[in-house]
Amino acid sequence: MKIARNIIFLALTIAFVWPVTGQTIGNFQMDETEFYAMTKQMGQFMRRFNYEEDQFGEKLNPKDPRYRNNEMRRQSLPILFDQEKYGTQTELQRYFIEDVTKGDSTYMTFLGGRWYSEVSATFKYNGKDVNVIMFLAIEKEGLGSKWVLTNVYFSEFNKLFPTGEMAEKEKYFLHPMSHELDFMNIYKAFQNPDIIEYYASKEYQPDYLTLFFYEIKKGNLVFNHVDMVKFHVLQIKDWYFEVSWFNRSGLNSGWLMSNVIYMPEKEKNNVIKFYQP
Amino acid sequence: MKKIIATLAVVLCFVGTALAQDNLDFERKKAIDSLALEKVRDLSKYIKIAGSKDTPFSEANRVIDRAEELFMNDAEIGVSSLSSNTITYYRVRKYFEHLMRLNYDRVEIEWYNIEYVSDLQRQPDGTYVGVITIFQTFRGYDAEGNLQYKDTTKKDITVYVKRKETQIGGRTIGFWDVLLGDMRVKETTNR
Repeated sequence: MKIARNIIFLALTIAFVWPVTGQTIGNFQMDETEFYAMTKQMGQFMRRFNYEEDQFGEKLNPKDPRYRNNEMRRQSLPILFDQEKYGTQTELQRYFIEDVTKGDSTYMTFLGGRWYSEVSATFKYNGKDVNVIMFLAIEKEGLGSKWVLTNVYFSEFNKLFPTGEMAEKEKYFLHPMSHELDFMNIYKAFQNPDIIEYYASKEYQPDYLTLFFYEIKKGNLVFNHVDMVKFHVLQIKDWYFEVSWFNRSGLNSGWLMSNVIYMPEKEKNNVIKFYQP
Repeated sequence: MKKIIATLAVVLCFVGTALAQDNLDFERKKAIDSLALEKVRDLSKYIKIAGSKDTPFSEANRVIDRAEELFMNDAEIGVSSLSSNTITYYRVRKYFEHLMRLNYDRVEIEWYNIEYVSDLQRQPDGTYVGVITIFQTFRGYDAEGNLQYKDTTKKDITVYVKRKETQIGGRTIGFWDVLLGDMRVKETTNR
């Protein structure tokens, strides 16, 4: 079954990525086929997703009948899936391709919003190596656009604000007549710093990005290097998917869809809040 | 009133021309892509010459000067390998000097016949920015001709494109200025 799947995938890839003649340098045969097949940039992922370039990577003129042609998209979209996870004939993949290439199909656009970059990086925190995940989004500004930080995930920050049991939280409050006593009881809120946030409004949400900036400004958190980048795409109607970098040999490498989930539009708001509170 | 309408018409014509140049059409974008590719091909050529053990020192230095002219002043080259995520940052001259100092008796640097040019996006100040991806193989040999090291790297090179003007014979001529920016060098598993 797996062999059959691989054969189908190979046929699809070869149909899309036309066999390329290799060049011989000295004793070495250099074959570009893998590099043609590789989705080399996130921008190429978008162009392949929309079918805005042909199988040689040549940009198509918007007047070209092949430009954003749904029939062509149906052929090229399978190569954008991580084949090791999704194969070529899974129900989910078929449904996804059918859905995004139907009459009112949706396309990915750079300035279309609702796509986020996840940058996993190593920082020094109080002298120790720690992992921090930063989320960034494209924001329009001036004559163009730029990437901006929208949120951050750092386990040390999350430990500061554990999700407490509701029953436990309800034990801690300032009674409604505290004002008449000049808030003489407010000292109780500060007795246990671990749960100080229980005294905040139910609407309160910790702002991790501000904490992050604070720690950077205080010199407690120092950037070292980026470990990994991936993208979260919520731009396509009723779908969420991740795009990750696959550095591997073969005809299925580069920026590929690594996690695809059917997600009706009304469910997306909560997910988006995580990337951009 | 007629005067106001006439002035408005002239202003709009001017704005219209400026906008036409700012919003690049498909053909103009293609022409700019070619300009940018030319710079990247020059860079590839310079890397090959400077890296070769047959290139005399003075010639290598001349080539490095030419290479530096291709880049913005503050451009950096970030290099990582499969074995480590850590990125080593070099200035353009340092990168070339590092390449020249590699401890092999003979090196082969070749470029795959593939260049991938991204779409151009505008940054807030209006400058267009794009990325060109190219692939290179490197092989280092010892005195006996034995292969000591080889890798294939993906090079993602930032390209800045700006509309500039110059005076030629009293006439203002517009042109597209292309400069290279930061370059990310990443080892691939492809051989």
